[in-house]
Amino acid sequence: MEAPPVSVMPVTGGAINMMEYLLQGSVLDQSLESLLHRLRGLCDDMEPESFADHELVYLLRGQQGNPFILRARRSLLQPTSPWHLRYLGQPEVGDKSRHALVRNCVDVAASHSLPDFLNEMGFRMDHEFAAKGHVFRKGQMKIVVSKLSRVLVPGNLENTEPLSLSYLVELSVLAPAGQDTVSEDMKSFAEQLKPLVHLEKIDPKRLM
Amino acid sequence: MGVTCVCQVPVAEGKSVQQTVDMLHKKLEQLGGVKQGNFWVDCETYHATANATGQQSKQLYVMHNSEAPLSCMALYEGGPHLTADANFDVLMVKLKSHFQNAKSHKVESRGARYRYCDFLVKVGTIAMSSSAKGISVEVEYCACVIPADCLNLIKEFMQSFLGSNAPEMPSNKTEGQLYTPVDCVDPMSQYLELFGKVRKQQVMTGSGVR
Amino acid sequence: MMSGGPAVRVSIESSSERQVQEVSLDGMETYVPPLSMSQNLAKLAQRIDFGQSSDSDEERTDRDTRDEWSTREAEEDDGTVKFQPSLWPWDSVRNNLRSALTEMCVLHDVLSVVKEKKYMALDPVSQDPNAAKTPQVFQLISKKRSLATAAQLLLKGAEKLTKSLAENQEQRRQRDFNSELLRLRSQWKLRKVGDKILGDLSYRSAGSLFPHQGTFEVIKNTDIDLDKKVPDDYCPLTVQIPSDLEGSAYIKVSIQKQSPDIGDLGTLNLFRRPPKAKPGSQMWHLRLEAAQNVLLCKEIFAQLSREAVQIKSQIPHIVVKNQIISHPFPGLQLSISLCHSAGEKKSQRASPDRIKPDDHLYVLEHNLHQLIREFHKQTLSSVTMPHPASAPFGHKRLRLAGPMGYDKAEISSWQHTEGLLEKIIKQAKHIFLRSRTARTIDSLASRIEDPQIQAHWSNINDLYESSVKVLITSQGYEQICKSIQLQLNIGVEQIRVVHRDGRVITLSHQEQELQDFLLSQMSQHQVHAVQQLAKVMGWHVLSFSNHVGLGPIESVGNASAITVASPNGEHAISVRNGPESGCKVLVQFPRSQAKELPKSDVVQDGKWSHLRGSYKEVHWGRMEGRNFVYKMELLMAALTPCS
Repeated sequence: MEAPPVSVMPVTGGAINMMEYLLQGSVLDQSLESLLHRLRGLCDDMEPESFADHELVYLLRGQQGNPFILRARRSLLQPTSPWHLRYLGQPEVGDKSRHALVRNCVDVAASHSLPDFLNEMGFRMDHEFAAKGHVFRKGQMKIVVSKLSRVLVPGNLENTEPLSLSYLVELSVLAPAGQDTVSEDMKSFAEQLKPLVHLEKIDPKRLM
Repeated sequence: MGVTCVCQVPVAEGKSVQQTVDMLHKKLEQLGGVKQGNFWVDCETYHATANATGQQSKQLYVMHNSEAPLSCMALYEGGPHLTADANFDVLMVKLKSHFQNAKSHKVESRGARYRYCDFLVKVGTIAMSSSAKGISVEVEYCACVIPADCLNLIKEFMQSFLGSNAPEMPSNKTEGQLYTPVDCVDPMSQYLELFGKVRKQQVMTGSGVR
Repeated sequence: MMSGGPAVRVSIESSSERQVQEVSLDGMETYVPPLSMSQNLAKLAQRIDFGQSSDSDEERTDRDTRDEWSTREAEEDDGTVKFQPSLWPWDSVRNNLRSALTEMCVLHDVLSVVKEKKYMALDPVSQDPNAAKTPQVFQLISKKRSLATAAQLLLKGAEKLTKSLAENQEQRRQRDFNSELLRLRSQWKLRKVGDKILGDLSYRSAGSLFPHQGTFEVIKNTDIDLDKKVPDDYCPLTVQIPSDLEGSAYIKVSIQKQSPDIGDLGTLNLFRRPPKAKPGSQMWHLRLEAAQNVLLCKEIFAQLSREAVQIKSQIPHIVVKNQIISHPFPGLQLSISLCHSAGEKKSQRASPDRIKPDDHLYVLEHNLHQLIREFHKQTLSSVTMPHPASAPFGHKRLRLAGPMGYDKAEISSWQHTEGLLEKIIKQAKHIFLRSRTARTIDSLASRIEDPQIQAHWSNINDLYESSVKVLITSQGYEQICKSIQLQLNIGVEQIRVVHRDGRVITLSHQEQELQDFLLSQMSQHQVHAVQQLAKVMGWHVLSFSNHVGLGPIESVGNASAITVASPNGEHAISVRNGPESGCKVLVQFPRSQAKELPKSDVVQDGKWSHLRGSYKEVHWGRMEGRNFVYKMELLMAALTPCS
């Protein structure tokens, strides 16, 4: 008897060349409720879910060039769910007409041994923070409204301090490279949030 | 997922690798095993390019197993290991400036998969750069995850078709580990050890067995 | 009057009775001759001052008119001085009275105007000497004119008021619409597209993948005739439902023995009464619920038809128009049909058809609804939010598969899910098997009185499995004869019978198999009963066999037999009982009692006479007793010597 056929991706490979389309903005704590209310109305009919994550940013320094950055994130609410390891490339220079920031992105779900393993690979933790907030979905768009907090004692998530008096709002879409139409959708969605929050294409390099 | 034992079977005197494999297949079929498709296990080796910290760089092995088709296992010999999804391979491509893939070191084992009741037997040909270097036999007892509870059973079963070639117990197990449930990395680390052994044999014999 | 001396001396004397007409030069006074009676009266009458009045009400008007009066008085004074007797002494009186009447009439008018303060209020006005000259009539006319303008203003105001009242009503209706819309919004999904308000009936948000749009339109129904009476069930909000979702629908599931003509297929038209309106719920709500139900039924049917075409079975499923026919067991057909009545009239017309017995399986209809909702839930729960939040969307299981190293078997197990049709066919099979088992047992119980058969159905059962306990007993001997207790586990395709001793027999869905099995068990029961009875009566069992290899062959099962010996060993009873041949009872007597002792040359010794001799068959039918065991008891009792 032949083994049942498994129609999944080939062993080596994975999703190559995925792009993250991103718009960012922020909202003050006091207007959070109205933003959540608006999002609840606009987004898909799922119960809005709250989350609490812990993110560690790792750097691997080579002899030359910029350090290689990896972000490892775990859920505090669902401790059994896998870690999320993320590589984000440099923002594409691209044409100015694009409405969103576009960058290469590799998402890896990994087992809980990730921090040890990254250490073994030579990565060193640069900084860590806690993100708590709400996540919404509209089609393939993901809207994350999160409060970022500084971790005061390394590794201790009980003891955190908010970084600011506002919430970070991120609108993102994961799509294979070349699907620039998604940025149109993102723009029109961002328009609908307009007076509450202004989502913009923010180049992280400029902020550095 | 069950307790697994991987071992190498020497090529029979005066026979080729393929002939020895066929012999094993025949034995298994006589035993009542039923062929159930194929399997493969592969292993890629990465070298860290000059590390900033300057420490002795170890080799990173990234392995795949057809038995867990959505997973990708990354191991350090004797060190920590990571189980991730297939995107880890993509990440390794991104990391190529820091980790170099030693293409010539790619080892894989391919072969047939036999089922005999609760036992899953995989007889594979170990190949390095597409030349056969040896034979691997993996026996998995699917009904149990605690090694201590079934190792003797596996041993006895292996003796039934491997004779004296059957190993005492999985090479990677210490006394303490016998009582913890196995995970999907366990067979991989055994394969890794086996592949390392085959590689060393090749270095020693120079040309290797054919 | 005298004037003497330089000092002016005023002498006071009583007024003369007559007025002095003239004083002559010599001081002679000529008096006015005294007036005659009539002259005097006329004079007095002239003196009446019509200007004077005692009525306080007139005080204010007095002021207006005083000048007028005063001038007249002056005139009159003059008149008195140069009195000229008129032609008619009452002339002036009449004139004065007439003018007074006129004044009074005007006064009355003015008063009535003044009294009704709402039209006009009087205030002291600065005296205009010219105004005093204004003639009365002119004044009145001007007053009337201003009153008229005031009245006009008031009328205009009133008109405005009534207009705004009507507008208010209009607005209230509008408000009613808005409140209804709010209520609608709280229960249904609405969105605004252009100038239309569209709603969503579909179960998409609950996880349905049915492609039907399921949109309805909200219509404002406020332009009704204001003059006509508003009907009781008037609602400012109505909904427009897509025409294919109008009416009511349901899924009819039935199991039939023979297949009807192929020509009759797909024309099934049975309708149920439309549900009665619950008090307090809106018309639109009922309509939307009904339409949603139609949509769900259509989705179920579409899903079933799709599966019916895809799934391969030995006898292919047939999909014709609004009916799906499947053959769960040979000679049996399961029909699932979508009954949709487009309008209310049709449903009434169709009602006579309902006279024929309704073989609708409500349980299966209900289960279909449950299954589709489970199906919805499955699709919905598959898209969960990622944790950590940065992870991409996707199946939770797939996200776990990599890091957890799920193996092939596990991954492929996600991919196979049983469809709606397969599940419902399995359920139908089970329901059918269960009801037929019950019928088989019941018919056996009513046909065969001895032994008795009892069935105890368990109340709790699974969708695909239920069980019944079957006891075979003899009336009056329930306590001693309970050898046969069967547990029948009725599944989807087969019935598993578990004996009391743990033996398991699997029967197929064929009715005959179960019947034959029960018949053979009942026949065995009799022999078991004899065994039990023997124990109680102190008899010894010599031999016992459930399946006798000798004698005539039974068409159903095997005959069983037992031989028991009386306590003192003199008698023996041998019973053979077959499901078909019935029972045969033989009694063996001791040789000594045998009437015609076989003369044997070999067996001469007296001791041999204690051996049991020949068998004799008992005319069982003629035995007394209400059942087999009772008869047997009597027989045993008769053969047991009284000691």
